[in-house]
Amino acid sequence: MKRLAFCLLLSACHGSTGSPLVTFSAFAGGPADITTGATFTTGSGYGVALSRAKLHLASAYLNQTVPLSGAQESSCVQAADNVYVGEAFGPLDLDLLSSTLQPFSLPGEGIETLAQTGEVWLTGGAIDALDDTTVILEVAGTATKSGQAWPFTASVTIGNNRAIPVQNPALPGSHPICQQRIVTPIPVELTPTSGGTLTLRIDPRGMFNALEFSTLQPTMGSKGVYVVPDEQGGAGGQLFNGLRSNVGVYDFSFTP
Amino acid sequence: MSSSARTLARLLLPALLASGIPRVASAQPAPVVGTGHQLVAPKPLVAPKAVYPAEAQARGEEGSVTVLADLDETGAVRAVSIAVSSGVEALDDSALEAARKWRFSPALDDGKPIESQLRIPFHFHHVELPPEPVPSLPPAAVAPTPAPAPVTPLPAPPELKPTSPYESSVRGSKDPPSRGASDYHIDVENLSLVPRASAAEILKLAPGILLTNEGGDAHAEQVFLRGFDAREGQDIEFTVDGTPINESGNLHGNGYSDTHFIIPELVQSLRVVEGPFDPRQGNYAVAGSADFHLGLRDKGLTTKFTVGSYGTYRMLLAWAPQHGSPGTFAAVELYQTTGFGQNRDGRRGSAMAQWEGKVGSSDVRLSAQAYIASFHTAGVVRQDDYQAGRIGFYDTYDSRQGEDSQRYSASAEITSHTDHITFRNLLFGIARPLRIRENFTGYALDVQTPLQTPHDQRGDLLDLNVMEGTVGLRGSARLHGKILKQEQELELGYFARGDFVSSTQQRVEAATGHPYQTDADLDSRLGDIGLYADANLRFTRWLALRGGARGDLFTYDVNNHCAVPITGDVSHPTAPVNDVSCLSIENMGAHREPNQRASTVSGALMPRASLLVGPWKSFSASVSAGKGVRSIDPQYITQDVKTPFASVGAYEGGLTYQHRFRDSIDLQVRTVAFYTHVNHDLIFSQTVGRNVLANGTTRIGSASSARFTGAFWDLAANLTYTQAKFDDTGLLVPYVPDLVVRADGALFGDLPWWKDKLHGHALRASLSAGFSYVGPRPLPYGARSNTIATLDGSASIGWWFLDLSVGAQNLTDRKYRLGEYNYVSDFHSTPYPALVPVRHFAAGAPRTVMFTIALNYGGKS
Repeated sequence: MKRLAFCLLLSACHGSTGSPLVTFSAFAGGPADITTGATFTTGSGYGVALSRAKLHLASAYLNQTVPLSGAQESSCVQAADNVYVGEAFGPLDLDLLSSTLQPFSLPGEGIETLAQTGEVWLTGGAIDALDDTTVILEVAGTATKSGQAWPFTASVTIGNNRAIPVQNPALPGSHPICQQRIVTPIPVELTPTSGGTLTLRIDPRGMFNALEFSTLQPTMGSKGVYVVPDEQGGAGGQLFNGLRSNVGVYDFSFTP
Repeated sequence: MSSSARTLARLLLPALLASGIPRVASAQPAPVVGTGHQLVAPKPLVAPKAVYPAEAQARGEEGSVTVLADLDETGAVRAVSIAVSSGVEALDDSALEAARKWRFSPALDDGKPIESQLRIPFHFHHVELPPEPVPSLPPAAVAPTPAPAPVTPLPAPPELKPTSPYESSVRGSKDPPSRGASDYHIDVENLSLVPRASAAEILKLAPGILLTNEGGDAHAEQVFLRGFDAREGQDIEFTVDGTPINESGNLHGNGYSDTHFIIPELVQSLRVVEGPFDPRQGNYAVAGSADFHLGLRDKGLTTKFTVGSYGTYRMLLAWAPQHGSPGTFAAVELYQTTGFGQNRDGRRGSAMAQWEGKVGSSDVRLSAQAYIASFHTAGVVRQDDYQAGRIGFYDTYDSRQGEDSQRYSASAEITSHTDHITFRNLLFGIARPLRIRENFTGYALDVQTPLQTPHDQRGDLLDLNVMEGTVGLRGSARLHGKILKQEQELELGYFARGDFVSSTQQRVEAATGHPYQTDADLDSRLGDIGLYADANLRFTRWLALRGGARGDLFTYDVNNHCAVPITGDVSHPTAPVNDVSCLSIENMGAHREPNQRASTVSGALMPRASLLVGPWKSFSASVSAGKGVRSIDPQYITQDVKTPFASVGAYEGGLTYQHRFRDSIDLQVRTVAFYTHVNHDLIFSQTVGRNVLANGTTRIGSASSARFTGAFWDLAANLTYTQAKFDDTGLLVPYVPDLVVRADGALFGDLPWWKDKLHGHALRASLSAGFSYVGPRPLPYGARSNTIATLDGSASIGWWFLDLSVGAQNLTDRKYRLGEYNYVSDFHSTPYPALVPVRHFAAGAPRTVMFTIALNYGGKS
């Protein structure tokens, strides 16, 4: 009887409306095994020794749906409820050569629902702002292949330099700049829970798989260091594509 | 007092066609001449109304009772007896009970108080009787009689006329037979002393009702009833003396019902039927129905001036004729406030007038009303922003939110009688302009499409405009006669209504204030014609079966001016950039106009029945079953596709205890258990700013209420517990409160002190309080809201024509969340777009204190 009365008063004894909202901790950092050294071989056969790898990370999201092919061409954000099941806000300036995790600026929030894809947002300001000059990725090191060495540096921004020209006047908004700044879909399989920890590890080694260092040209005044151009074509584009690779670079995990 | 001085005066007091206006009496005692003495008749000081017994109403019993009352030298009623019986025991008893509570000034014989005897007629009628001319007391009415003369009941003279300036009506008249324990006839009476922000809050006197409002004082209240989130009226049929309030075709919510046009002082009573059990209930009566009954209790000219917290001012001018029905009145209200917190300023004006009287042999009521209001609203606040200190509890994200609301209506009702039939017909017309500006989501919805010029999020402010015109009529023929020695009734009625609605909803850019997208643009012509039959069959005095069936035919003719919201032909060289809405060019380059017309018609048949048993020793029981419907939003209409009604089936059983103790103490306790199933529920979507269709839902629960009244107190309390679940998932229906508790109480009366020093007028005083408790409500995403617990109170003191009062809402100044919601929004309060659902809330009002001075001229003696 007492229990019934208590239930009546509390009115919260049974029943639910679905998966609960959750709050969790969120961290990001370099890969856990980076301590073994940032020396690796790329998919193109270059041996690379990284001396610097810094990334400006804006935020990370978890989706419960896998985007349909081409869906990202129409919008960067899906407005409907029940699409995003987790989010964590930076910004964070990460040293990708360190396995030490940094906390996101705010606790992560989400729904206790299975997430199937992840998104990493790489921007210094508004996701739609065209003229952002924030350096998103800054790397340096030396690449070697067949006895030749290419000391290199790169500073990657995502602004006007990454804008995709409108091909069809009838589709002026088919490639907004936000698409260039969002890395997705990153395969995940995790369920955020309250009090858990979301970890995002970013492996710079995966960014160089397609970079042809041999195409780099010495830059005036760079003292023999090759500079990867901050542009959409050539090696600059290859590195940018590596930055945006949804496989092999970004790894989400969740610890309840 | 010597025996010679003990005079028994026989008085014929006016036929008191009604009761309910205590303290209203003629200002000057009538001198009586021609007896050798200067005699002054007793004058009623307190004249409580007779209660029309519910069971008598239910049985359709009518009649007149004349009570013979013996008064002592002080004017107190010493004894009462029946002089002329109505033939109905319950009515006789009720008249006796009421007469015992009357208080008079003593009869005077050359200035000396004397005993007296008088007759008090009471009339109980199902149909309200209008007042008749009020002649003065006949001189022969008082005749000194040597004491101890036997008390001889005087036969009522055949020319007996209603003769009193202090007459009133035994109401209950207009309400149809009770449907059982969930049929609440609520007389506001002294619970009007409890502070209430609006007339809608009077609804809380019925069990299970919770009101919330994230839209401000010109926005319809969101009503929760018995596990239904009725939003702004979609699931409750609201009427004012039979004239509909629900707005069919309103894009914000089909059935939107804004009751702010009702001046609270004019609400005399309320009939709330929780469930679709009465065939008179029409469209929207899914959770139930509520009919406001208007009248003005204070006779003469009343002015009120209120000033209070947050720059609030209110002025009221109200008038009711001294000798007329309470249903004749005129009132004007002006109100303005700067509002608490940010962006809650507003102004409103309301005027209402009504005349009730006889035209020939028919009873006629004419009503007219005008209302204008303009308020800003604060909208919702994200809980994470509030907790992080990024926004204040009472702040706003978007100061452009608000409402501009108007309503104009007129109605005429005529009631006529033959021996066995009562005919009623009501004609009404309503014009209703409305603009609502709300921003639930901030900057979340304006996603880039390939066809649009690249843009940032431009803002989600919804600008909704509705212009609605409604004409309609309703009527009934009520037949009654005796079969099986019991009074039997059959009512055949009709309802017809046409709505002509233009609705648009646009999204407005935050930076410029320009609309950048049209979400909807509809012209709708809606029709609803219904017929019903309601039988009231009495098999014995303690067993009645009530019910019948109702059929409604709904027609829709909707011209959608925005049938093609986006362009499909992206390859066409001349395809326009889709920065505009509602294009005239689309698929595959083929030209088409932007509109699309759709029309359809659907019917619904709704059987309803209640079985009432008792009363036995004040107990009665009832079981009820019924079906109801809610018509669908015009936006969902498809050509020739049968309209997908929301259909409800409801079942309940209830028990009522009603008893009068001693002279004037009444207790009524009710409890019901109910089960309700809806096949298509409506759930509000903050994303689209409107109600959206959901799956079927089931509600199970119970409601209990009690009211305890006496000579100087009026107490009411109710408690409702409900569980509402979706049929397919078993999940709880969000936002619906499980537990709602409400208690109201008032103490009132005359203070005995200083009367002699105050020109013969006693000081009167009152204290009142109202308490609301709402348990944690289920919210989307497995969450529960905070509880709501608020306490309101008031105190007043009055003398003769003057009343001073102070009232406070949320006395404890509790910082509470009136509404809580879980959904996705992005108010640019975080560095990057917020895309997961979070808690939002609409702040409840902090402590609000109001001081009122009221003056009455010609109504208080």
